[in-house]
Amino acid sequence: MPILEARSLTKTFRRPDKASGFKGAVKHLAQRRYKNYTAVDGIDLSVDAGESVAYVGPNGAGKSTTVKLLTGILKPSEGTVRVMGRDPHTERIANAHDIGVLFGQRTQLWWDLPVEESLKLLKHMYGVSEADYKRRIAKFDELLDLGEFMPALARTLSLGQRMRADLACALIHDPKMVYLDEPTIGLDISVKDRLRAFLRELVDDGTTLLLTSHDLADIEEVCERIVVIDKGAIAYDGPITELKAHYITTKAVHLILDGPADLPELSEKFPDYAWAAGDAPSEVKVTYESARFTTAEVLADVTGHLRPRDLSLSEPSIEDVIRRLYAGELTK
Amino acid sequence: MTQGFAVDRAFATVAFKRRLAYKIQWMVALVLGGGAMLVSMAMWRNLLADGALSGYDWESMRAYIIIGFITATVVFGAADWHIADRILDGHIAIDLTKPVDFQRARAAEYIGSMISTVPTVIVGVVGAWLLFDPPGPASALAGVLTAVSFVLIFPLAFGITYLTVLVCFWTKRYIGVMWLREALLGFFSGMMIPLAFMPSWLQAVAWALPFPHFTTTPAAIYLGRVDTAGALGLLAAEAAWALGLWFGGRLVFRQAVKKVTVHGG
Repeated sequence: MPILEARSLTKTFRRPDKASGFKGAVKHLAQRRYKNYTAVDGIDLSVDAGESVAYVGPNGAGKSTTVKLLTGILKPSEGTVRVMGRDPHTERIANAHDIGVLFGQRTQLWWDLPVEESLKLLKHMYGVSEADYKRRIAKFDELLDLGEFMPALARTLSLGQRMRADLACALIHDPKMVYLDEPTIGLDISVKDRLRAFLRELVDDGTTLLLTSHDLADIEEVCERIVVIDKGAIAYDGPITELKAHYITTKAVHLILDGPADLPELSEKFPDYAWAAGDAPSEVKVTYESARFTTAEVLADVTGHLRPRDLSLSEPSIEDVIRRLYAGELTK
Repeated sequence: MTQGFAVDRAFATVAFKRRLAYKIQWMVALVLGGGAMLVSMAMWRNLLADGALSGYDWESMRAYIIIGFITATVVFGAADWHIADRILDGHIAIDLTKPVDFQRARAAEYIGSMISTVPTVIVGVVGAWLLFDPPGPASALAGVLTAVSFVLIFPLAFGITYLTVLVCFWTKRYIGVMWLREALLGFFSGMMIPLAFMPSWLQAVAWALPFPHFTTTPAAIYLGRVDTAGALGLLAAEAAWALGLWFGGRLVFRQAVKKVTVHGG
């Protein structure tokens, strides 16, 4: 049975329909007009216990609204959500006991108190025993170096420290289902690496995770399944490996030559490959279908003819695939 | 139940500590509140120099002004804008992911922040007592019932504040709502001038509202202007308002929470 199940989930907001400028402001004051805007449009989503799901999409696609619907913050306009069998909006308090939530852009720390005070208040809220609290804090300290800033006021923390403290706040009660909304936003690479390692460990321990992020490295390193949302609707839902296998069908060889390349001649001689100019006149890129040709065959052809000074191999990243999904070039 | 109270205490303690973090605020509250009390004392001493007005002489007015100082410090010193800010800046999204009753948690926080004003009250009252030597309570029982009236101010103030804060869900602004509430509270409580100085129709309006319980009720009990039955009636009315506003808050929140529209992360 899925731990999370959403059916035809829809959220429509009402937005003021106001013309710009002074005239628009006065007109809106006298005659208020509104437009309905559908942020989430009939989403079906099912997540099994222990799954790690990346929920991605361009800005304004409806990711955060979906998370707020799934966590019970927002009431759906249409459709249903069940998390561990409960409606997260009408059974908000019971649901909140079993979930952990982190919004990367909003802290849950009490701004003018030490981090430790916030964690202790959460301990009381979730009814965490003293022994469990100590054990989890020790673990967070080991993995996130929490101890160094536990006595510091939240407002004095760096962004990386704040995010690590917020993560501890989201997980202090050992939730079964965790929602992380952009947990690595604005962080430097070393803090990102630590957070990702921590999240991998969380997933390995059996926690169900739903992660939204614009950083595709977060997704590749932490999640097994990817759900791509665009304009409020799901554009792709499947394993990340399948997404790659399905859409990453080409590879490329980048060549650096002694002089400028004659692209028309190369295209005529090797018509099965796609030839393109590189960044410099002496650079050229050869793209080929990985199902038809092995890399060794391609290298044998091009190096036998061109004798390059140097070469490198590449394949489209998941980022390229998702960019094309966002652009509507690919569909499942 | 014990777990629930432990959470309440934790919220109240955090709110208290948050206020403790800003020590200058305490000093400012003492200077402003104490200053306002001194100005009031000077003004009423002149006004009552020739004898009593509307049943108040200079002796009873001294006690009345100190009671007004206590209630004003406790009520205006509480951190209502913390709740309003969370609604307006979208932090309510985080509150709604916690396994606590939103209203009860805010009540605990609010009362914690009200308790943080107690040291200011103590310093102000001790100072005023030494300077103005006000009369004691009309009787020991009146003193006890006055204390009960002060205690009831805590849930009553929360009820009024919480309802006005919830208005933010519709107005998307708080400052105007807060000014209106504080103006009504200051005027109809009798903090500015005793209700006895107002025309009878305005007194009737005031008594149809919860505000007189913030100064007029404790002052009337303390000064013996009502007998024991009258005092108990006033306390019952004060408690009924606190209870009614609590359930009113629940009803309004049920509608308000449907209006949560936190866009973006």
